[in-house]
Amino acid sequence: MTGGKRWIIPMTFVCLVLGAMLGIQVHSQQLRGATEVGRQTSALVGMLSRNELQVEQQKQEIEKLRARLAEYEREAASEKGFARLMTEELATSRIALGTVAVRGPGVVLEISDSTMRTSNDFGGADVYVIHDFDLLQIANELWCAGAEAVSLNGQRLITGSAIACSARLIEVNKVTVASPFVFQAIGDKQKLMAALNIRDGVLDRLRVLQFPVKLTPKDEIVIPPISVTPKYDFAQPVKEKKQ
Amino acid sequence: MIGIPIAALVMGFLLVYFFLPAIPSQWADYVAIAIIAGLDAFVGAGRNWLERRFDEAIFISGFFVNMLLAALLAYFGDKLGVDLYLAVVVALGIRIFNNLGRTRALLVTARVEARRARGIAPSE
Repeated sequence: MTGGKRWIIPMTFVCLVLGAMLGIQVHSQQLRGATEVGRQTSALVGMLSRNELQVEQQKQEIEKLRARLAEYEREAASEKGFARLMTEELATSRIALGTVAVRGPGVVLEISDSTMRTSNDFGGADVYVIHDFDLLQIANELWCAGAEAVSLNGQRLITGSAIACSARLIEVNKVTVASPFVFQAIGDKQKLMAALNIRDGVLDRLRVLQFPVKLTPKDEIVIPPISVTPKYDFAQPVKEKKQ
Repeated sequence: MIGIPIAALVMGFLLVYFFLPAIPSQWADYVAIAIIAGLDAFVGAGRNWLERRFDEAIFISGFFVNMLLAALLAYFGDKLGVDLYLAVVVALGIRIFNNLGRTRALLVTARVEARRARGIAPSE
């Protein structure tokens, strides 16, 4: 055969390419299968270990509280020590209540209405604007990821904060806010980023509809205090009877 | 001789399988289509070889161009919301089967002829 050797080079080349493509495909298909089957198991294992960790932390917390209780009882005698303890408690409570500005590491999330414009036949304009429930979902996601203080367009979010829609305007703490919406959250940067970027999560959904989303980790964020301290007209603390 | 291409096939597979990160999953469909097109070119080349009209220029160009076209067609189908993917799979699948059938027929015919020739040869 005259062409006995001529076919070797092209055939080798083609075989190399075909082999490589098969490699790609088999690899990615295996990973796909692994993620689908393995996801549930690994999620359950993750939950279990997290729960165990939580139990451990709770135990430590109980120890700490017991120690503090003992300390209170001891300090109760000397008024000066008791006052110092109360001041410390008050500082923590103020952060929780949102009456003091706080600083710390965290993330800044900026979102605005979608840049996509299509005819009204396809869902209308409602699809392309940020709604109160989008903001609620983000806020919820941030709290879930362990955010210690959150603000939306400068409004500190506290336990009684409502994000509500009234007459096509969004109100936070009874103050009207508009796009662009800027969330600031203090907490574990990595955790917050991961929680927001979770696959098929709220940000993914917004990105698909071409909402501009800007998420940046920051080493230092200052979150302002709540502008109006909540009043408590109805709720009264329950006095615990001393035994 | 035939060992070199086979070695290349295995080497290509192993190199990519073990040393390259996986591609994004949305590409997997296009790679699959391209592989089918590559297989089609391969089977066609086998048939042409047996029919003694194998040409490496046609083989090489057919291999790469068909791969690209098949993947592109599937991609445009996705963009248009039409399952052109299926059209490519069906068309290539039919061609692969046809060519394999032709190859088998050629091989069987060659064997039968060889046996007949051997059967006749001693009597002469």
